[in-house]
Amino acid sequence: MNHTELKKRLKRLLVDGLKLEGVDPESIQDAAPIFVEGLGLDSIDALELVVLVEEQFNVVIPDEEVGKLAFASIDALAQYIAQQQRAQAAQGGA
Amino acid sequence: MRRVVITGAGSINALGNGTRAFAEALRNSRCGIAPLTLFDASGYRTSCAAEVRDLTPPAWLKPAVARHSSRSDLLALIAAHEALAQAGADSAASGLGIVLGTTVGGMPGWEEYFRQGLVGQRRRRHAVALTLPVSTSVDVLAAVFGCSGPRLTLSTACSSGSNALGVAVDWIRAERAPAVLCGGVDALCRMTFSGFNALQALDAVPCRPFDRDRAGLTLGEGAAMFVLEEREHARARGARILAEFLGYGVSADAHHITQPRPDGAGAAQALQRALDDSRVRADEIDYVNAHGTATPLNDVLETRALKAALGARAHRIPISSTKSMVGHCLGAAGAIEALACIVALREGFVPPTLHLEHPDPECDLDYVPNRSRPHAVHTVMSNSYGFGGNNTSIVLRGVG
Repeated sequence: MNHTELKKRLKRLLVDGLKLEGVDPESIQDAAPIFVEGLGLDSIDALELVVLVEEQFNVVIPDEEVGKLAFASIDALAQYIAQQQRAQAAQGGA
Repeated sequence: MRRVVITGAGSINALGNGTRAFAEALRNSRCGIAPLTLFDASGYRTSCAAEVRDLTPPAWLKPAVARHSSRSDLLALIAAHEALAQAGADSAASGLGIVLGTTVGGMPGWEEYFRQGLVGQRRRRHAVALTLPVSTSVDVLAAVFGCSGPRLTLSTACSSGSNALGVAVDWIRAERAPAVLCGGVDALCRMTFSGFNALQALDAVPCRPFDRDRAGLTLGEGAAMFVLEEREHARARGARILAEFLGYGVSADAHHITQPRPDGAGAAQALQRALDDSRVRADEIDYVNAHGTATPLNDVLETRALKAALGARAHRIPISSTKSMVGHCLGAAGAIEALACIVALREGFVPPTLHLEHPDPECDLDYVPNRSRPHAVHTVMSNSYGFGGNNTSIVLRGVG
């Protein structure tokens, strides 16, 4: 999937997976913060998001350090996932 | 001994949101019991419940907190917010303690999560796992309101709410905290419905305390929260005092896991201890808010206990069960009934026992049948008898 589609999918995942009532996925800005400000997600949402990302993309967020960077915005998360998937493909070989 | 007063009260239950709505419903003899809508009641012997209708997160609550709150958390938050606003205390600065009584905690959310898993629902919100421990609500309250004092969750079945108030009183008397946010909360869930159903303790129609044909209880849900404060501390800051908490007494039946001692001896002991702790004589009690669950056993043993402990006075005062209006709210019951007592003290009427059509010869006291009654009261008592024989009685006095 291309980068634009990935970001769209992430926005829908956020709204559906975290049950964000009344939030239109289209309204989430690519570069806006999603934790604390912006969408106002909190640390419990972060736990859920880690599970959702792993289930949907087979990509692991190994610790809080990585999480802080990856979850900075939709842009950041899309970049992280794309990066991880490329790395997996390179290692996968066959 | 340091005296304890009530400077704030908050309420949410089937009779409405807020202490004002509750007081008016009591005065107007309204019934909050209706068919259950929260989950499927087919298969149970009744669909009657006293549900909180249209529970929505209040505007002042952060969306992220609301999203992660269980039903119990939400009920407790709403009631606590009202109590704190009324008390006008700066909770963060005052080292406010918190004591909460409950029986099910986040159980409703877990039942739903488990059910979703069983039917193979793919996407479930796993964060609900964090809300199961009964201690969660107290932590949510402390976080939202910035309470830095000691905190405790206690569970003694149907007397949890009263015992929470009792522990708050103990803390204030022992100078553990100058003020304590305390009360009880419980939410309707399949487990309690199934449990009481299996025990054949649910009436098929809205419960009928003290009635000859009573056949069991009606479950309810809600929260009542109070700010209890050391009296001089309250006076020094010019707080409005709603009532005084004179004292309380507890006892344990040591009889059976669910049935009370039929002779009411355990209940009478708690009653007597409450009188002693309050330094009040039986003939000073003007009204009793009964445990009055409408089970065949409770109502007759409670009548016996009242006669044993209050003697002749029991025959001369009104006694009513507000469970006929707001259901049996389990961990919240004792707290909700304390609020009913405060309403009676402040507004000069006693709430009724609804659905009382046929007097029971073994329950021959004045239970204020069906309509509330204007009646000035100054010193009142509330009883709560938890499953397994957890007996508590509290005594409150009016001010001014």
